Amino acid sequence: MTVTIVLVYQSLLGIYGDRGNAAVLSKRLTWRGIDARVVVVEPGEELPADGQVYLLGGGEDLAQTTAVRELTKDGNLFRALDAGAAVFAVCAGYQICGTTFTIGERDEVVPGLGILDVETRRGDVRAVGEILYRWTKPDGTESLVTGFENHGGFTRVGAGARPLGVVERGIGNGYDASEGAQQGKVVGTYPHGPVLARNPELADYVLELALGHSLDPLPRPAIDELRRQRIAAVRSR
Amino acid sequence: MAADLTIPCSPHRLSALVRARLAVALAAGSLAGAASRIAGRGSGASIRGQLLMKFAPDALANLLPGHTIACVSGTNGKTTTTHLLAAAVRASIGTERVVTNADGANLHYGIASALAVAPGRDVAILETDERVVPDVVRLGRPAVLVLLNFSRDQMDRNHEIKSLGRGWRQALERAGADGPVVIANADDPLVTWAASSAPKVVWVDTATSWTQDASLCPECGTMLTRTDGRWACPTGDLAQPEATWRVDGDAVIDPDGTRWPLQLQVPGSFNVSNGACALAAAAELGIDPETAIRGMRTITSPAGRYATAHFGATTARLLLAKNPAGWAEALPLATRGTVVLAIDSAAADGRDVSWLWDVEYEQLAGRHVVATGPRAQDLSVRLLYAGVEHNVVPDLATALAGHPDPVDVVATYTPFQRLRKLGGLT
Repeated sequence: MTVTIVLVYQSLLGIYGDRGNAAVLSKRLTWRGIDARVVVVEPGEELPADGQVYLLGGGEDLAQTTAVRELTKDGNLFRALDAGAAVFAVCAGYQICGTTFTIGERDEVVPGLGILDVETRRGDVRAVGEILYRWTKPDGTESLVTGFENHGGFTRVGAGARPLGVVERGIGNGYDASEGAQQGKVVGTYPHGPVLARNPELADYVLELALGHSLDPLPRPAIDELRRQRIAAVRSR
Repeated sequence: MAADLTIPCSPHRLSALVRARLAVALAAGSLAGAASRIAGRGSGASIRGQLLMKFAPDALANLLPGHTIACVSGTNGKTTTTHLLAAAVRASIGTERVVTNADGANLHYGIASALAVAPGRDVAILETDERVVPDVVRLGRPAVLVLLNFSRDQMDRNHEIKSLGRGWRQALERAGADGPVVIANADDPLVTWAASSAPKVVWVDTATSWTQDASLCPECGTMLTRTDGRWACPTGDLAQPEATWRVDGDAVIDPDGTRWPLQLQVPGSFNVSNGACALAAAAELGIDPETAIRGMRTITSPAGRYATAHFGATTARLLLAKNPAGWAEALPLATRGTVVLAIDSAAADGRDVSWLWDVEYEQLAGRHVVATGPRAQDLSVRLLYAGVEHNVVPDLATALAGHPDPVDVVATYTPFQRLRKLGGLT
């Protein structure tokens, strides 16, 4: 079987190198001998309904509302979720998965995709910088997630979802020390762009959600060294 | 109306008080500038300008008037285009009347510093940071404003690309009939939207290939369509304007249909686009293309870009790339067997290196690649996933040492400036 990774609306939601997450997921499968392909879908094109992982990245306000409108019209993201696919969404992509978010200078409240029980409003500061958070997996084990966040919205996690982790450095969800959210196979987090490059455990977790089985570890010293450097850098501040 | 450079400009009319304050600030600034040069920290222009602005905050307002001004702005190509245009102007009227901020110091104090040390020079060719354009338009009433392009750059600071374009648009609207003639890249939707509020625009078809930062209509947010290389908003509120100057391969076709091969010494199709904008700006200043091109061809390595530097026995060509659009231009120029990639995340580089994943490093597979700079490890992981074998040598000097054959270096802003010094170029 070939695993299909769908990079959703790169031109709208890809402002922070977010395609990196697709490259990381696909490569981590091929390194393990599992066939993978990345399908890039632009607005106006139909999303495949039979993908295993759907990726949503960062973008500006106008791009967010356009993406919600197009994805709702298309419908295949919802069909894929019903069929057991996983969604990994970062930054603006995370916000649009929620029930509502705000856009523009007048903070207009607009509906999101409603696949993650979170809502986002304009925060009192803009969160820009390195972020480090302690991610608790459903089995209770912990792992540090390192990345870069850049967002103006703060996010409240509702009863239907659970936060991914607790912020050690940075802002995260903003209203409290929590960061990100997960509901079923939908995972959202603020560190944007290629967050999965710095966090191979999170990458493999998304793949395991999509595939329904666990994956063998994949040691890569270069990634361990990058993690060591970034975690040390953010903690030294 | 073309700003005719043969007409003498009005002399400075500064009050005695302003003159005295500028003199004090300049004296302090010149000492600091000299100290900065002695200490090897650059041309001294920025530190001199910083002091100037501290002692005389309205320095720019006092220094700009009295000049015939051409400004150059945009995300990429500002420095090179400014050099090209300044060379075109010098070829026409000689060197004595021309002042320019050739070192790339393009903020308020960089511009003030360049003007302050060149009194009596009445034609100013000014590289202008995107954020400074509104102030220069307001305070200096430039004759010509060249708007090159917009793309994602330093997103940790410029959260929304469009807000910069909005600043330009409002400044041009406010300037109205007194505003500059805008030389605008018609291939760029955001530049087009920003320039549309100007009373006179000269559109240049630059044959730009980078479209990844221009998906949505800046006016209404609808997805733009692209047919036969031309963009349009399906709602009809904005479309690629009909250009009077256009790039055709290595040449530029002027409004009369005459084809001008540029044959510049600065390489790449991107610099043909820059050259086309410089040529159109020169024409607006009353300079004929033949003279302008003669000047432009003398430019080899504007502020160190494309320069050859020496690091011990190693010979290296230096290429600057600050963002994905810049890397897309620079990487294909790095054709040598060994390619050194230098990455940093200081303020001037942008603190977020996510953009590494928007660069197609895959094209380097099979080459000898060295990753260097403070963020070499981030690049290393990017190259690992791109399937590009490489060495990680974080220290710049070590990374450049001991290459028997000439190498190409592609660097972000901060390591680029360090390499210019290490390589003996400044």
